Amino acid sequence: MSAYKDPSTSSKPYRDPTPLPESVPKVQELGTTSAPLKSAAFFIGAYCKDYNDDFMLCKSEDRDPGHCLKEGRRVTRCAQDLITKMRENCLADFDKHWNCLERNNHQYNLCRKVERPLNKCMFEKLGLVKTIPGTPEGQKPIHEVEKPIFTGVQK
Amino acid sequence: MPPAGGFDAIKYKRNLPFRGPSGLVILGGVTAVCAYGFYRLGQGNLEKRELQREKTWSRIHLVPLLLAEADRDAYRRQQAALEREKEIMKDVPGWEAGKSVYSNPRYRPEQSIVLL
Repeated sequence: MSAYKDPSTSSKPYRDPTPLPESVPKVQELGTTSAPLKSAAFFIGAYCKDYNDDFMLCKSEDRDPGHCLKEGRRVTRCAQDLITKMRENCLADFDKHWNCLERNNHQYNLCRKVERPLNKCMFEKLGLVKTIPGTPEGQKPIHEVEKPIFTGVQK
Repeated sequence: MPPAGGFDAIKYKRNLPFRGPSGLVILGGVTAVCAYGFYRLGQGNLEKRELQREKTWSRIHLVPLLLAEADRDAYRRQQAALEREKEIMKDVPGWEAGKSVYSNPRYRPEQSIVLL
């Protein structure tokens, strides 16, 4: 994972160093890169469902960036909380999985071997289950299939 | 005169030794291999669909998080631009900074963006 890069300190043109107005409460940005986010995506979806739904409902009311700042802060705090908990409880499995995603073009199907311990650990420690909505009835979810057809070239 | 005991029997029957399985077996085998291949293809297509669903949902779960972060930055830039406009246009009487050119209060994103 890498540190959060503040857009106001960007080296590119069109940067705007003005900070947020004082009236807006501060929230620490997540600063997580794509691979850890992808690894944690389903747990974020499970853990922060209420906040995420609330935020998206608010966005569907009005697309103005200023309209949903409060809900947005809640979403970010919740994700922050989850990533912290994940790192406290399942750091080794989490690191292995997102490093695998990083090396395998961010494809879940190439990282099942390291994904299973992570899912197991998340369920045992935090009670979070990875569920994919819309999986056909009576069919095993794709991340639990024992012998999938699409695997890596090398075993 | 014929030899004693008569002539040898005339060899008129074809002598074709067994050369591999019959056509029917080969045809059946090819059909079986093809059938298995198409079955795997079908299974693979179903699996691909599920993999696509998994990928899509992993992105859907991240949308609120990324949108919230982007919104904060957009709001910050918006407010800064508004302050600048106020500063520049302070001598113009009757100027409302940040007023939309439309009479509809609905939010409209920027009409033009800069690609870096």
